[in-house]
Amino acid sequence: MKVAKRWLPFLLIVCLLAGCAGAPEQAAAGGSAAAPQQSGSAPAAPAPDGAKVLNVGRMAELFDMDSTIATEADCLEVIEAIIEPLFVTAADGTPTPAMCESYEMNDDGTLYTFHIRSQANWMNGVPVTAHDFVYAWRRLVDPVTASEYSFMMEVAAVKNATACITGEKPLEDLGVRAEDDKTLVVELDRPVTYFLNLMAFPSFCPINEAYATEKGSEYALGADNLLCCGPFYMSAWDVGGNTYQIRKNPTYWDAENVKLDEINFQIIKDPQQTMLAYESGDLDYVRLSGDQIVKYETMDGFTRIEEGYLWYLSPNLNPKSPEYSTGLENENLRKAIALSYDKDAICFEILQDGSTPADFAIPNKLAIGPDGKDFRETTGTYLTTDKAKAKEYWETAKSELGVSEVNIELLYDDSDSTPLIAQFLQSEIENNLQGVHISLKAQPKKSRTQLMQDREYQLGLTRWGPDYADPMTYLDMWTTGSTYNYGEWSNEEYDKLIADANGALATDPAARWEALKKAEALVMEHAVILPVYQKGTAAMVRPGISGLAFFPVGVGTIYKDVDVTF
Amino acid sequence: MLKYVLKRILISVVTVLVILAVLFTMLHSMPGSPFNDEKITAVQRANLEAKYGLDKPLPVQFYNYLKAMLAGDFGISYVIQKNMPISELLRARIPVSIRIGIQSVLLGMVIGLILGIIAALKRNSFLDTFATVVSVIGVSFPSYVFAMAMSYFIGFRLGWLPLLYSTTDAARSTIMPTISLCMFSLATVARFARTEMVEVMGSDYMLLADSKGITTLRLLGVHGLRNALIPIITVLAPLTVELMTGSLVVEQIFAIPGIGSLLVSAIQFNDYNVVLAVIFIYSIMFISVMLIVDILYGIIDPRIRLAKEEKR
Repeated sequence: MKVAKRWLPFLLIVCLLAGCAGAPEQAAAGGSAAAPQQSGSAPAAPAPDGAKVLNVGRMAELFDMDSTIATEADCLEVIEAIIEPLFVTAADGTPTPAMCESYEMNDDGTLYTFHIRSQANWMNGVPVTAHDFVYAWRRLVDPVTASEYSFMMEVAAVKNATACITGEKPLEDLGVRAEDDKTLVVELDRPVTYFLNLMAFPSFCPINEAYATEKGSEYALGADNLLCCGPFYMSAWDVGGNTYQIRKNPTYWDAENVKLDEINFQIIKDPQQTMLAYESGDLDYVRLSGDQIVKYETMDGFTRIEEGYLWYLSPNLNPKSPEYSTGLENENLRKAIALSYDKDAICFEILQDGSTPADFAIPNKLAIGPDGKDFRETTGTYLTTDKAKAKEYWETAKSELGVSEVNIELLYDDSDSTPLIAQFLQSEIENNLQGVHISLKAQPKKSRTQLMQDREYQLGLTRWGPDYADPMTYLDMWTTGSTYNYGEWSNEEYDKLIADANGALATDPAARWEALKKAEALVMEHAVILPVYQKGTAAMVRPGISGLAFFPVGVGTIYKDVDVTF
Repeated sequence: MLKYVLKRILISVVTVLVILAVLFTMLHSMPGSPFNDEKITAVQRANLEAKYGLDKPLPVQFYNYLKAMLAGDFGISYVIQKNMPISELLRARIPVSIRIGIQSVLLGMVIGLILGIIAALKRNSFLDTFATVVSVIGVSFPSYVFAMAMSYFIGFRLGWLPLLYSTTDAARSTIMPTISLCMFSLATVARFARTEMVEVMGSDYMLLADSKGITTLRLLGVHGLRNALIPIITVLAPLTVELMTGSLVVEQIFAIPGIGSLLVSAIQFNDYNVVLAVIFIYSIMFISVMLIVDILYGIIDPRIRLAKEEKR
């Protein structure tokens, strides 16, 4: 008894250590046993010698693999690699037929007929049919799915998309139908010139109805619950794991042109550790965080990537109440502010992350016109920093407004480097324009956008990310009545240009392109928004990797064409 | 004793409920929602909220949550692994966190005790100074500093151990995380052990025991260590907390798919149910440690138990 009593404390300590959580042996066993169970058909076997393997670093978990629900860039990339949509984006940014062999469009561009590849099969041997697209598209707009990307169907102007999303019309009324197994017919409300670009977006991928119905709520949760028809298939994806893997799909219709045998994705959230793993050879392709760019820009493999995000100042031109009235309704004051801040300093001294000064409303490398050139190549620059000229505008503004000074509150969010930029803008504007006083108001991002959507702000620092590769993804914002026309600018000529580009001119690409250029010029000439910079980032790509293209919109990277020589 | 334990368990249950209620309210009053895309329309948002039951009043939501939770259903993830039951997420992620947690507590306790006892026995010697230096470093540097230093020198420069956690090489890939996590407990235990042992060694009963001629091992183990253990057990609870908070960062660094890194992501992406579930587990762990520590006191030193019983 005495002995037992003596050892009891030690025993209890051991129990405590084990008991606060569970038996360690069990834990270890659980950890390794969970992997094969949850992952795909052949996850454990390593790639044979000589196989072409790419190891990719990722900053976040793979959130979702259901193409009708996924929104994260990482997920969209993987979905596009394993389930092929009608079109894919080629390296030069143009859409090329993928799951569809050919297509026809009617004269006014409102009816598309796609012919699905006859030799395209799902991995279980079932042919990919037009019905798979109809099912997936209806699923995307179904209020029960509650997809965050259902608006893509509205962007594509597929007939009755809005009514289906709100539940006003049954899903059968959506403008998509299967004429026969291999013929898909899509009806649009109006012609959409970038419709084929949109068809490369993963939200429009097919889903096999029989398979998805059989899996029910389990569909797309884990590698065993995915049916693939793309260049790769999901070979491993552990629930809650830190890795996932895709392998070459031998049943893919174009398998002979898929070069990689295997792509391993490793989730590492620590940027420093990511670079150690790259340098030690564990990873071949990783994204850099903003503050790492200066350090690694001279290293072999450093690759700059231009993103489609534009950061800009949005002045409130039409305040709802006098509280938000500042004099910004005066065009000359807006121009004075736009020309006062040094954009180079913001990009190359503060951010140093590959961002570039923006003297435009439509970012670089966003859209290619009917002439085959980038939109920016054939358009001018606007609102370039010119502090002397800014002072002149300010003098004019003062006499027009009849004031000697103005007080403006700058609203911004407290994420990343935004506060630094807001402070810099404040000092630049105040130093250059005597009598302009800027006060700062920081808010969490969500509240900041809410305030701007409610028009309860004076001057806001905000950003916009493109949804599709056309200038319209930006220009549509500044039409009268648009939710994102934060400053409530209204211009008849502009509205007409946009309406024409969406309607009458939609079948005349060259004329439409000119209308879009004019529209951008109007926005800039009236200083509706004051551009600051276009976001940039960078990646390390091991020399020996080829075919890796980066797109500022839609799917960031397409793996089908990637090859490695190491 | 039984009555005392039952009372403590009851208090623990209430505490967990209060923690959950406060957290639930806090999470839901935070700016932002799991659906953060500024581009989604009011209709889409309404659809989403209806789908996940977020359109109901907060008390109703909490009631529904509690009801499901008591039945073992933690709900589904809204963001991190969309629509995946959280119990499955946890089942996959808890084992590795626990494994590393237990390894580091054990390692920290054992090495800390040894270091502390040696320091106390060889007072003012080189070993004592060494132990003090280790303690100071261990207490003052956060675990991620060790993690980063080790991964740079041992993982990257020397290439002895894997930089990143791998399920196929789990044993080796938990070595660096374990060491970096155990440094704080190691240092704390060493410090307390030394102080207590010095005091105990100088006490009358030790002199008496020594004069009876028992072996040094028995003297230290039975008479010395037992008395020195009380304050060490006291620090066990704060050490567990330190382990949990440390694991948040260390798991990120070594890419360990545990619940620490899960919590960080969940907070980042407003994944309410995941945050609640992980905090719930952390609270249970912490409260159980406190409970066991209290019971341990009573066993190691009956005076404490008596004092508590007399009060009642």
